[in-house]
Amino acid sequence: MKKNRGMIVTFLTPALIFFVLVFLYPIIRTVFMSFYKVESVTAPSSEWTFTGLENYASLYGTQLFRTSMWNLFRIWAVGGVVVMSIALLFAVILNSGIRFKRFFRAVIYMPNIVSAVALATMWLQYVYNTRYGLLTSLFKFLGWEKLAAIQWTDPTHMFWSLLFAYCFGMVGYHMLIFSSGIEKIPTDLFEASTIDGANKIRQFRHITLPLLRGVFKTNITMWSITSVGFFVWSQLFSTVTASNQTITPMVYLYLQVFGAGNAVTERNAGLGAAVGVLMGVCVVCVFMITNVVIKKDDYEF
Amino acid sequence: MKKVLSFLLVLSMVLSLCAFASAEGKTIVYWSMWESTEPQGQVIQKAVDAYVAASGNTVDLQFKGRTGIREGLEPALEAGTVIDLFDEDIDRVNKTWGKYLLDLEELSAANDYEATAIASLIGACREAGNGKLMSIPYQPNVFNMFYNQEIFDEAGITANPTTWAELLDVCEKVKAAGYIPITCDDAYIQCMIGYHLSHLLGEAGTHDVVMNGLWAETPAVLQAAQDYQELYEKGYLSPTIGSSVWPANQNGELALGDAAMYLNGSWLPNEVKAMTGPDFVWGCFAYPALEGGVDGVEAANFGAQTLAINAKTEVAAEAFDIIKYITQGEFDLLLSIESVGIPSDTTNTEWPTMLAAVQPVMESLTTRYSWAAGIEDNANVTPIIKENFQKLVSGTIDAQGFVDAMEAATK
Repeated sequence: MKKNRGMIVTFLTPALIFFVLVFLYPIIRTVFMSFYKVESVTAPSSEWTFTGLENYASLYGTQLFRTSMWNLFRIWAVGGVVVMSIALLFAVILNSGIRFKRFFRAVIYMPNIVSAVALATMWLQYVYNTRYGLLTSLFKFLGWEKLAAIQWTDPTHMFWSLLFAYCFGMVGYHMLIFSSGIEKIPTDLFEASTIDGANKIRQFRHITLPLLRGVFKTNITMWSITSVGFFVWSQLFSTVTASNQTITPMVYLYLQVFGAGNAVTERNAGLGAAVGVLMGVCVVCVFMITNVVIKKDDYEF
Repeated sequence: MKKVLSFLLVLSMVLSLCAFASAEGKTIVYWSMWESTEPQGQVIQKAVDAYVAASGNTVDLQFKGRTGIREGLEPALEAGTVIDLFDEDIDRVNKTWGKYLLDLEELSAANDYEATAIASLIGACREAGNGKLMSIPYQPNVFNMFYNQEIFDEAGITANPTTWAELLDVCEKVKAAGYIPITCDDAYIQCMIGYHLSHLLGEAGTHDVVMNGLWAETPAVLQAAQDYQELYEKGYLSPTIGSSVWPANQNGELALGDAAMYLNGSWLPNEVKAMTGPDFVWGCFAYPALEGGVDGVEAANFGAQTLAINAKTEVAAEAFDIIKYITQGEFDLLLSIESVGIPSDTTNTEWPTMLAAVQPVMESLTTRYSWAAGIEDNANVTPIIKENFQKLVSGTIDAQGFVDAMEAATK
């Protein structure tokens, strides 16, 4: 063991230094910054003005930030349930011995390799467009005039249109994670249960689900992290100026750090840092709650 | 073989060093807000190439794009990156990045630059630079009501409206001719209420309302909302104006000839020229004067992109020469033609045909609004204004509902 100590230090030190520089230092600086008023994100600390908890109080008192948090919660909760359910369903179907498994898997995953800009443009201009969009045309063809008259991107429907489009692109990614978890489950468990008379639904309930606990944890954590970082889709659905229905904390952070739209607005990177800290706390909380709710796997396989 | 290879490598290294050592001239680093594929980027590249050929200096021209320069310039300057010259919108350059700018008064005087510059824009730059010329304008723009002249002709409209009552009359005629009078997209929709409010109150008044949440306390807000409610009720607004995500209506309604008017910038003809074709005749008029309003047709948002020099540069004179290449003479004209933009050199008297109607409007302006006439000054409120105004112009809420919603959201 003594002989290895030198090697351990040699190999760990560069990684440790880089970790401290690339991760720890920015985290500490961001936390500190959140207690100051800072005009530019790169301003030297000599130009920072200490404001205590004012940034956090300001966030709490700002309706736009509260709206962004509510939007984020809806994206995480509603979108999470929808995406996880569909992803799990697809993963189970793909692993049930169907033909052309690889083809279907590739098709479902495909939105993940298409640029978000292209996907959002497709949804906005070719699906939701109220003049010649897919939905309007389809409902007109079916004679459902009330549905055809819906303006999918007006303030009443914008959030749900955005969420649907986003979920469409996220199913494939989480399906792959579920799929890899299901593939690890030994087939003898399913064979034995089939001999015992269990149908597919009971097999799913009593074998697949319990053995996917760890995968669920991974998926929920990954979903939470991507939800907290929700930015590009929001920007694409509200070009130039942010919208009340699509704003998320990350967009709010951007507005505070770099200014909003075309206008020159007051900037406060400290406020942006406070948003960042709150988002970090949210992810940690979700991770901890997930760990408590979804117990560690009791089974080894 | 190895010896030959080694010899060749050493030789190439020595020659490289010799070339480096013998290189003369200075290097100017220029960060541009454009993409290299845009007409503006391509003309700037040509201007810089011409400068390099004439001066013997080297220019490190980097196209950063809008987001790239907005997010990256300040951190780079803070970190001490050598950037001698950069460009962006007049207000962002002067207000957001003001502390990094070199005072250009001396260079401008030494080069007699203002002799051929647009006086109002130089004035706007001085105003934005707190009385000093800290940036040089190029590619001027103006934000006002653009329209399809063919529709106006078909509707029998012979004069541009100058008052709100005249605008209502124009809208009625356009509607009677079977067209949508006014359209807009989400990206610009709050400019409508911004312009209206500032024409009533002046930009300072609008700024006061959005910064201090004086929506219910300011009667002009209700009046502005009522005027737009009237436009909606009379069917003068596009049925999709409350839901259109840019550029859906700009392209689908205005450029394709279904709608007549759009409150937008002078960059609009360039943006839609692929759809309108070269024969589309553009009209332009100043936002109409309102009864009892502080400002009239002389007020609008006009400005330019501006070029600025880093206060820490060691090549100020050379950077100013590049500015002259871009903003004067041949390349200013080329920029105007290629980007369907307004020339910034007064000796380039020919404006692009598509912008012919803009020239008298631009020249008549004396009061300069900042972007959106101040309605977007408060980042915490802009998305809320946008949403409630979209609801107002699509009939979801009425004028009083707009005022109440804004009051509730900002208290």
